[in-house]
This record gives sequence, structure tokens and C-alpha cells, in this order.
Amino acid sequence: VSVVVTGRGVVSSIGESPDAFFESLLAKRSGIADGIGACVDFDPETTMTPKEARRADRYTQLAVGAADQAVAEAGLPDGVDPERLGVLVGTGVGGLVTLQAECEAWLEGGDRAVSPHFVPMMMPNAAAGTIAIRIGAHGPGFSVSSACATGGHAIGEAMRMIDRGEADAVVAGGTEAALTGLCIAAFRRMGALSREGVSRPFDAGRDGFVMGEGAAVLVLEREEHAKARGAQIFARVVGYGASNDAFHITQPDENGRGAKQAMLATLKDAGAATGDVGYINAHGTSTPFNDKIETLAIKQVFNGSATPPPVSSTKSHIGHLLGAAGAVEALVLVEAVRRGVLPPTINYEQPDPDCDLDYVPEGPREAPGLELALSNSFGFGGQNACLAVAKA
Amino acid sequence: MANVPTDQEALDAIREELANIKVPGAEQATADQTWADLDVDSLDLVEVVKALEDRYDVQIADGRLKSIATVGDAAALVQELTREKEGATA
Repeated sequence: VSVVVTGRGVVSSIGESPDAFFESLLAKRSGIADGIGACVDFDPETTMTPKEARRADRYTQLAVGAADQAVAEAGLPDGVDPERLGVLVGTGVGGLVTLQAECEAWLEGGDRAVSPHFVPMMMPNAAAGTIAIRIGAHGPGFSVSSACATGGHAIGEAMRMIDRGEADAVVAGGTEAALTGLCIAAFRRMGALSREGVSRPFDAGRDGFVMGEGAAVLVLEREEHAKARGAQIFARVVGYGASNDAFHITQPDENGRGAKQAMLATLKDAGAATGDVGYINAHGTSTPFNDKIETLAIKQVFNGSATPPPVSSTKSHIGHLLGAAGAVEALVLVEAVRRGVLPPTINYEQPDPDCDLDYVPEGPREAPGLELALSNSFGFGGQNACLAVAKA
Repeated sequence: MANVPTDQEALDAIREELANIKVPGAEQATADQTWADLDVDSLDLVEVVKALEDRYDVQIADGRLKSIATVGDAAALVQELTREKEGATA
């Protein structure tokens, strides 16, 4: 079954529409300030009523902001059987803003101080549930969670849902709002965050990731269904591969085994050869380990073919959106193949001998012949997802 | 009995608490409106009840919640409980 993209939405620190976001990438804009990539311009009340917004954690508010754009662009829910319209939106950590606030309230005021909205705000499936309520989607609905690979798994599993015949269209994506003091402290204590507060993937001076927040949502649809109702098709989702490192709870396998396996599975799923791939949007977190091992894995996948295609990391612009990252990066692929242009890796200054691919550091690059692109997402827990997106 | 709210005071207090949880039309709520009329669900009602308890320093037992179907019921309950409290401390 052929699966296409008929709607796109994003809330990011560098734009709250697909065009604004992608044009910011091309303009080498950064959304990072004071060491975090916050969506400072985001106003949940542009899409939700004040009461709805008050009863939703920020991670759900961001997801609804992105989903409303995607659903409107796709012209849904009209033209689709509600029981065949799914919602699959994941998060890495769920309603952490709410969790932290309610813990503080409970410690200070006891049981009575805990909000009756706490559970439905915090639970990791709240974003998917809220979106389904808003559009009357009665098909399959849930969230997936695989830390920093969540968005990739969500889009890939939504594609599978359509492939298995369980839905004609799925609102799919990832969302994250984890910029709380507790969570920032936790990642810092792991040594995962950049001390410098700069995301510089693949650069010799990279020293960790920068936390960001945001959400991206795509409407995936069975191609025949989309054509029958005259929907605009932006790109095709043609391959998905998932794997486990089964190595360490946070460190990537030092030989890149899981990453390589996910990329190869994706190519096989897409029926594509390595030579067909014109661009890779890297996981590219800017941690010393990830970028080195991802480079190694890409070289192993492309072993024997000419040279690997250009690779860039858009985390250099907006930081690491954890559970939203893979969904945002799937949108990057859609725009890259649609427009025939590759977004650059910014802040790349000093080459690292262990990272010796073409990272598109100079600025946006015209790629008029781009037909197929890959996006990598690797999560804590050793869980990996890779997506292949092709020109419509 | 100075601390027992009048009908209007009790209604205004409930309107204020509904506005605090962003209920549309809270300022115009009337005594005969049900919670469903105001799109106030059971979770919202828990918040309203807690706010009223705090405001009047009374306790509304969970068992009483079933008896307050309308804004007016809640106002009457608040008056009843504050009256009881006044009686107890008089």
C-alpha cells in the first residue's frame, strides 16, 4: 500500500508553520537562546479555548498547535470515515511541566492540593487523545514512546497502520515540552547537555546536546484514498525500519550496529538501493558519542557504493526535541524532497577526523534531483527508528 | 450571621470560581444552570468545590456533590454550611 503525506504542521522555536520552519532552516536561523530552544512565541490559545489550554500540559498544547495545521491542510476530518481515521502522536516524557508542578503542590499542600486534572494532563497519551477528540477520530489511537526516537517510531507505525488496512488516514507525530528545571538538571547530571549551550553536530568541539521543545504532526494517508478525495500530496513515506541496540540503556552500540540495522531495514522496506538515497537527516545530537557512531553506521550502510550522500543535522538549529525530534525531522524530509533543497548543519566549524562525511555546513544546498531521503532517530533505551521519504 | 453569604454573594462567588478555571460564560452564570449547561465536568467541579471550601472555610463531603446539580444548588449548600458553622461557633 502506498502511503502519502497530505497534511503538515509544526510548532518550533524557529517557526510555527512548515514554510516558516523550513525557511528558517535555509536561512541558518537558530532558535536556541540561553542554552535552550524554547518556543517563546507559542500561544496555546490560538488553537485552544482558555479552558482547554488550562486543562492541557504544554506538550499537548504544542501537539494540538501542530495537529490543527496538519488537519486543516489535509482538509480533514471531512472526506474520511471517522472509524478509519487514526491518531498516533508520541512523546518521550509526557506532561513533565504538570508533573513537576503537581509534585511541588503535593509536597507543600498534601493530597487536597493535587489537581483533579493532573492525571489526564500528565499521561503520555493525552496529546493523541486530545487531538482525536478535536477531530472526531474514532480509528486506532495511542501514543508511542521510545525517548529520542519516539517521533520516528510514531510516523513509521502510522505508516504500518495504513499498510495493514486499519486506517485510511492517520494523524501522526511527536511532541515534547520538557524544559523544566528538573528535566534540564537530569540531562545535565547525565553529562548529556552541552556545557557551552551550543548544538554543533559533527564538529570536533561538540560537547553535548541542547534541549529544545516543540511538536510536528503529519497526516499520512493511503494514496488511493487521498487521490479519490482530491487531496494535495506533499511527499510519500516509503520506508520504515526499527531496531534495538540491546547494548546499554543510554550509550549507543560502539559499532553502530542498531543504527546500521535500522537504516538497512528501511532501505529494504522502501525497495531502494543505497545509491538511491540523496540526503540523510541525521539524528546528529551533538554529543561526542552519537555523532561519531552515527557517522560510522552511515559509512557501513553505504559501504561499497560510491560516497554516502550529504548528511545534515537540523538539531543544530533547534536543539534536541527528544520525543518530537523524529517527527520534526520527518517534516524536514518532506520539505527537502518537495523543494529539492538540503537544509544545512549550522555551528559546524572544526572538522573531526571521526566525522568525515559531507555535513552541508556552508548553507542550504540545491538538490533538484533529490528523490529519496532518510531520517535517523536513536533513543535512550537503545531503540532506533529510520524513515525513508520520497518525492511525490 | 454576618459570614453567611447572601444569595447574590454566593452566586458571585461561584461565578468567580468558574471564571478562575476559565469556564466560558462564567460571569453570566445563573442559579438555574446545570454544570452540563456550563460545560463543567466532574473534574472541573472538584476544583470549584475545593475553591469554595477554601473561600468559606467549610468542608463539602463527597456525598453532597450528587445533590448539587445546579449553580443555585451549590450556592444554597454554601449558605447552609456557613450557617451551620456560624451556629457552631456562636
